[in-house]
Amino acid sequence: MNLRFVGRPFVAAAGFQPPKLAIFLTLTTALVFAQSYTPPKTPWGDPDLQGVWPGNMGVPMQRPAMFGERTTLTDEEFAKKQEQARKQAQADSESTAASDTRVGIGPPSYWNERGKPTRQASLIVDPPNGRLPPLTPEAEHYRKEAKLPGEWRGKADSWEDLNIYYRCITRGLMGSVIPVVYNNGNQIIQAPGYVVFRNEMIHESRVIPLDGRPHVSPAIHLYMGDSRGHWEGNTLVVETTNFTDKDAIGSNGAGYPGDPGYHSDQLKVIEKFTRTGAKALEYRATVIDPKTWTKPWTILLELARDDNYQILEYACHEGNYAMSDILSGARAAEPRR
Amino acid sequence: MRNKLTYTLLAGALLLAAAPLWAHHAFEAEFDQNKPVTLAGKVTGMEWINPHSWIHIDVAGPDGTVTNWMIECGSPNIMLRRGFTKHSLEVGTEISVKGYQAKNGTNRANGSSITFKDGRKLFVGGSNPDIPDDKK
Repeated sequence: MNLRFVGRPFVAAAGFQPPKLAIFLTLTTALVFAQSYTPPKTPWGDPDLQGVWPGNMGVPMQRPAMFGERTTLTDEEFAKKQEQARKQAQADSESTAASDTRVGIGPPSYWNERGKPTRQASLIVDPPNGRLPPLTPEAEHYRKEAKLPGEWRGKADSWEDLNIYYRCITRGLMGSVIPVVYNNGNQIIQAPGYVVFRNEMIHESRVIPLDGRPHVSPAIHLYMGDSRGHWEGNTLVVETTNFTDKDAIGSNGAGYPGDPGYHSDQLKVIEKFTRTGAKALEYRATVIDPKTWTKPWTILLELARDDNYQILEYACHEGNYAMSDILSGARAAEPRR
Repeated sequence: MRNKLTYTLLAGALLLAAAPLWAHHAFEAEFDQNKPVTLAGKVTGMEWINPHSWIHIDVAGPDGTVTNWMIECGSPNIMLRRGFTKHSLEVGTEISVKGYQAKNGTNRANGSSITFKDGRKLFVGGSNPDIPDDKK
């Protein structure tokens, strides 16, 4: 069980004034309730996780340092966040009306999903400060050498100057789940011996066997890795290995400051899916990559089932006019010979 | 005082966290800020595709020559949830668009501002799912 998470709100509550106690009690109650929730079973007896569980853009990846080890916002902080969200939504709506005066080459703000504000202070819940652990010296060196996100702009000599997300290949396992500015649909479908985890961005469907078969050969490296699942009580645990080193977690910034960036082919991801209510699913993913980060780190997504959410096909390649526009635009900008 | 500072910092931190970094494409690599365009014409079609939808319009030049332009929009799912349906922009509808032309010189532009003939703006009045439930 997630004892560490249960303990943390207590530590946080101890350092603050009421109404933190109320939050602590609420959280404790919620957690006790969550732990006691028994999900329905599929006809073949597995816990039933099926449904559409869209991600929520409303939680930052890394926790602002001022929160320290506190995982949840106070009432006052939450009210502030809600107020900001309301103003943002209004500004987005008004920007459609006012856009004559603010036309720019960037996309209009109303193209973005903003997400719903929640009390969660950061997606990263471990390390306890909610921030990415230090990089290994090797990864640090690589990042200095490598182009930073955005630096390729202006240089488009080849499609390979564009990252694999721009090229419509994938966002990788983690990047497909971490919410971004649009198309955050996730769907879980089950069959005897299998779970399928489908991500709208960008049209991934991971078919995860539950029969205990071994991973594929270590010589095989896959963009989405090789997933194997099993049940621990009512929790689905999925371990994924055999990644390539060509992808980033939350590649392209993924809408968050502090891009977690590239990982190595030694990456291992352990995901835990737990129904915590009729319409609530807790998704945890622990990233273990000793060649990139000095310690493992874990994100938590609190997903809410949305039966009305429509997952649309993300046929990225055929719609990716931007790819040819960027490359031909760079050619047009070259001096004439 | 300390609380005030804390909340100012918090507000800043949250704003930073919410800063929109557009995920899929770098617009400055695709569109040219030195080529602003204002286009007026009739809708000839709409591509509801990912990662971005495109509106097609026929634009008549001063000499009567008609050219077809493509205007880039958001992803279909965002458009739908903003209240945009296939009936929002029927073929033949007259619109005007302000935007920037593609760097490659083709008749493609981003469309930050799209206006109907009667002055209504596209998207205005659409549902806004980003407003928290209790504020709707």
